[in-house]
Amino acid sequence: MTARIIMKLVVTDIVQDTPSVKIFTLKHPARPELPAQSAGAHVDVRLPDGKIRQYSLCGNPEDNSVYKIAVRKEDNGRGGSRWLHDNVELGSILHVTAPRNNFPLDAKAKRNVFVAGGIGITPFVSLVLASRKLGIPFELNYCVRSVADAPALRIFQEICTPQELRIWTSQGEICNKFNVSDIGPSIEGTHIYCCGPNALVDAVRNTAQDWPEEQVHFEVFAATLDENFKPEPFDIKIASTGKVIRVAANQSALEALHDNGFNIASSCSLGVCGSCECGYSDGVVIHRDSVLGVSARQDKMMPCVSRARVAVTLNL
Amino acid sequence: MIQWSGGKLLHIHIAPSASYEMEELQHAELIAGRGIVGDRYFNGTGTYSPKPDIREVTLFDIDVLDALERNDPPLQSAPIKLTPAEHRRNLTVRGVPLNHLVGKRFKVGEVILKGGRLNFPCKYLEELLGMPLYLPLYNRSGLNCSIEVGGIIKPGDMIEPLD
Repeated sequence: MTARIIMKLVVTDIVQDTPSVKIFTLKHPARPELPAQSAGAHVDVRLPDGKIRQYSLCGNPEDNSVYKIAVRKEDNGRGGSRWLHDNVELGSILHVTAPRNNFPLDAKAKRNVFVAGGIGITPFVSLVLASRKLGIPFELNYCVRSVADAPALRIFQEICTPQELRIWTSQGEICNKFNVSDIGPSIEGTHIYCCGPNALVDAVRNTAQDWPEEQVHFEVFAATLDENFKPEPFDIKIASTGKVIRVAANQSALEALHDNGFNIASSCSLGVCGSCECGYSDGVVIHRDSVLGVSARQDKMMPCVSRARVAVTLNL
Repeated sequence: MIQWSGGKLLHIHIAPSASYEMEELQHAELIAGRGIVGDRYFNGTGTYSPKPDIREVTLFDIDVLDALERNDPPLQSAPIKLTPAEHRRNLTVRGVPLNHLVGKRFKVGEVILKGGRLNFPCKYLEELLGMPLYLPLYNRSGLNCSIEVGGIIKPGDMIEPLD
């Protein structure tokens, strides 16, 4: 569990990057430096209605004087991006957490294959800059509907060579779709980083299923779709006290813990941000998050979406 | 009765809700029986707000910050630089024997406070700041007080014993 400081940051610049994407620059009103950001990190933005949205930082990770976030307006989304597009102007205050990183760059890699889809391109600004600084060769496969719809394209044209930046389009006069199978079998020292729509993430995950887990990295900002999952009630045993908490079928483990006075930090409630991570023992956990890797799942779970068969003991 | 004099209020900080960065004030309004206007424990949005406890206003001794920076006593591997905006208590003071004021009344400017209980260090603060503060703050994590007489306070106000 990690709590994070929430800051009231001032919007100092807004760029209409594409017809549906705005890039917001945020500064602290009193301090020259914000909490350090590392390549691949994201922040939570708290909206006035209490909802929380995650956005990757898309500025230079070595410049902590500002944070930059790119937001695509989703007319049929949950409302967060619409609010940001329609209400935020220069001088507005946004409530933003210190960064968290579920998508860090492995400094020991020999080569990086970056795969981005649509607005999933945003963490790759910092990953490209960090990869170059570390001297790790990379290719960036940027999948978009059309070049006109490609967020932050101008930034990548500045920070990548034409050989490094590979733009793949699925619509328009020149349709040139990325063939995920070109990733091929695993290569020692090569790491894959993928962020984008679930379909792209699933395709890369399938293609790279024989790759070593530590060489394949995903950043997901949407809940895993699993229409056939049927939640069942189960018990949580608290390791420190032996107390047993019943989790009903229609509530999450996190909700049951909150109802019983456990002040566990949480944010997305979608299994994508990593805020509510809990250690566990003695139980069969049904992992439904998009954050924890296979090895981490041996003793950690995300109670906002993950459940257990019959019972689980949490290290609380 | 312990004899002391010359205590001084150095900084006032509040946060609107749990986990929010503390904001420094140049003056603050204290409401008897409630808290500092705008603070999370006045608003009922603090981490421990649902738990019955005296937490209307919290005080912290600036000498503790100096001690942490000297790593005195050496309870962690290195000195810790903690600013008055980071310890998350409301009032940073100098020259006030906080650990002796449980159950005692004292004045901060025109306001009268009563010491409730000593504040415990918490893992929440460690997580929020990413600093190993739990052990070094043991027995010197501040004093939780109730407000007997409200009013306006500002940095520089004198702090004096009443009991």
